Amino acid sequence: MLAQQLANGLAIGSVYAIFALGYTLIFSILGIINFAHGAIFTLGAYFTYTLMGLQFGFNGLLAQQKLPFGLPFWVALLVGAVIAGLFGVFLERIIFRPLRARGADPLLTLVASLGLAVAIVNIIQYLVGAETYSYPSGAALPGAPASVNFGTTEAPVIIRTAQLIIIAVAVLILIVLTFFINRTKTGRALRAVSEDATTSSLLGINTNQLIRLTFFLSGFVGGVAGTLVGLNVGITGPYLGISFGLKGLAVIVLGGLGSIPGAVVGGLLIGIVEALVPASLVSYRDALAFAILFIVLLVRPQGLLGRPLIQKV
Amino acid sequence: MSAQSVLEIRGLTVNYGAIQALKDVTITVHAGEVVTLIGANGAGKSTTLRAVSRLLNPRSGSIQYQGKDIARLRADEVVRAGIAHVPEGRRVLARLTVEDNLRLGAFVRTDNEAIEADLQAQFKRFPRLLERRKQLAGTLSGGEQQMLAIARALMSRPQLLLLDEPSLGLAPIIVREIFSIIRDLNQSGVTILLVEQNATLALKNSARGYVLEAGQITLEGPAGALIEDERVRRAYLG
Ligand SMILES: Nc1ncnc2c1ncn2[C@@H]1O[C@H](COP(=O)(O)OP(=O)(O)O)[C@@H](O)[C@H]1O
Ligand SMILES: [Mg+2]
Repeated sequence: MLAQQLANGLAIGSVYAIFALGYTLIFSILGIINFAHGAIFTLGAYFTYTLMGLQFGFNGLLAQQKLPFGLPFWVALLVGAVIAGLFGVFLERIIFRPLRARGADPLLTLVASLGLAVAIVNIIQYLVGAETYSYPSGAALPGAPASVNFGTTEAPVIIRTAQLIIIAVAVLILIVLTFFINRTKTGRALRAVSEDATTSSLLGINTNQLIRLTFFLSGFVGGVAGTLVGLNVGITGPYLGISFGLKGLAVIVLGGLGSIPGAVVGGLLIGIVEALVPASLVSYRDALAFAILFIVLLVRPQGLLGRPLIQKV
Repeated sequence: MSAQSVLEIRGLTVNYGAIQALKDVTITVHAGEVVTLIGANGAGKSTTLRAVSRLLNPRSGSIQYQGKDIARLRADEVVRAGIAHVPEGRRVLARLTVEDNLRLGAFVRTDNEAIEADLQAQFKRFPRLLERRKQLAGTLSGGEQQMLAIARALMSRPQLLLLDEPSLGLAPIIVREIFSIIRDLNQSGVTILLVEQNATLALKNSARGYVLEAGQITLEGPAGALIEDERVRRAYLG
C-alpha cells in the first residue's frame, strides 16, 4: 500500500519537478515568475494531440478538424515541445523584452504574464472548446501492457505504463539539462547571466540571445510536461495547466527560488506527500501542498535548497 | 586623426535621465600606450569606460575603435572587436569557480587549444589563481578578485584594455603588484586606458593623461607634465 502510494507520488512528483524547472530556468535568469508557463504546458499537450493527426471535438472554431497527416506519438511530442519552446521565445520577444527594456517592475511583468496565461487559455477554448481529449491508449508504447506489477500478487505495487514513461522522461530531461548547464560552454554562460547580466555582456555574452534560449528551454520542458500529463490523465481542457501553475509555484518556493535541484526535490516531495493523503481527505489535497510550503518557509525562508535571501550586493 | 590611434572618443556626452554625466569629452589612445584618466569621485570616469564598452547609450559624440565606429555595437560585439573592460569593483562572478570565470573570459573565442594555453599562461602569471582554481570566486580576497578580473579580461586576448580603478580598496603591496602587472601587459603590446584615483602611481606608469572634472576634460598632456602641474598636484596628488 505504501509502496504503491510512493510510486504514484513519484510519477506526479516528476511532472511537478519538470514543470517547476520551467519556472526556475526563467527565474534564475530574469528574476521573474512567468505565469504563462502553465498555459504553455497546456499548449504542449494540445500541440502533441494536433500533430498526431487526431480530430478535434464538436466545439470551437476548429471543430471536427484535423491535420491531413499524423505523426507518431514520440515525434509529435518532440515537435510539439519545440513549438511550445518557440512560442515561449515569441512571448519573450513581444512581452518580456519590451518590459525589460523599459525597466518595468517585476510585479508588472508578473501581472503581464498572468494576463498572457488567461488569454492563451481563452484562445485554446475558442479554438478547440473545453472538451477532454486523450491520446489513443497505447500511443506511447504500442503493445505494452497498461500497467506493471512490481510487487507480488498478495501485495501488488501496480504502476501504470504511463507513469513509468513520465518518470523515465523526467529523469532524462533532468540529466540532459544538468549536463548542459554544468558542463557546456553555453551552460556556463547561462550561469554567468543568471548571476550578473551586465558583467556577462562585458565578457562577450549576448545576454538577449541567452534569455531567448532560456525561454525556449522553459517552453520545451513545459510542453513535454503537458503532454506527459495528457498521457496520464488526458487533456482535461484548456485549464489543464492552471492548477499546475499554482502547484509549480509552491514547488519552486519550497525547493528554493532559482535552484534546479530545489525544483526537483520540491516537486518530488509535494508529489509524494499528496499521494500519501488518505482517501477520506482527498479533497484537501491541494491545500496540503501549500500547508507544507508554509511550514517549511517558517523554518527556512529561502526554501529547502535555496541560497539565503540576504546576499552581499 | 592619427593613423595609429586605437581609440578615439570625440564629443562624448552622456546623460543619466536628467543628470548630465559627461559633456563633450574627447580622448585619444594611441597603439601601445597607457593612458590614464584621473578625476575625483563622481567626475564621470566610469561613465566614460561604460560608454566605450556600450553598457550605456551616449546622447551624442562618436567612439571609434581602430578606425571603426563602435557606438552602435552591442556590448558583446565590442568584446569581439577586441576591447576588454575590467569594471569598477571587479565584478567577478562570485558563484562560479575561478576557472569558470577565466573560461568565460574566453567566451568569444573558438580556438580551444589556444584557450587552454592562455589559461595556463594566466595561472603562471597569477599563481594564486591556480591554487584557488576550483574555489568559488566569491571566496577570494579583494586583491585576488582584482587579479581574477584582470586575468579574465585577458582571456579574450584584447587589443585594448579598459581598467576601472584596479587599485581601489587594496593594500599598498597588492597595489604595487597590480601596477607591475599593468606594466608587463603594456610591454607585451596591450594598449590600456586606465581610470584611477591613485593619480601619482597611475601617471608614473602612463604615457599621457586626462583630467576629468564634473563630466568635462579640463586638462590633458604627457603624464610627466601632469604630475608637475600645480592644479593636478593640489587636487589629486595631495
Ligand atoms: N546609473 C546611474 N544613474 C544615475 N546617475 C549616475 C549613474 N551612474 C553614475 N551616475 C552619476 O554620474 C556621475 C558620474 O559617475 P561615474 O562615472 O561613476 O563617476 P566616477 O567613476 O568618476 O566616480 C556621478 O554624478 C554619478 O552620480
Ligand atoms: Mg568610477
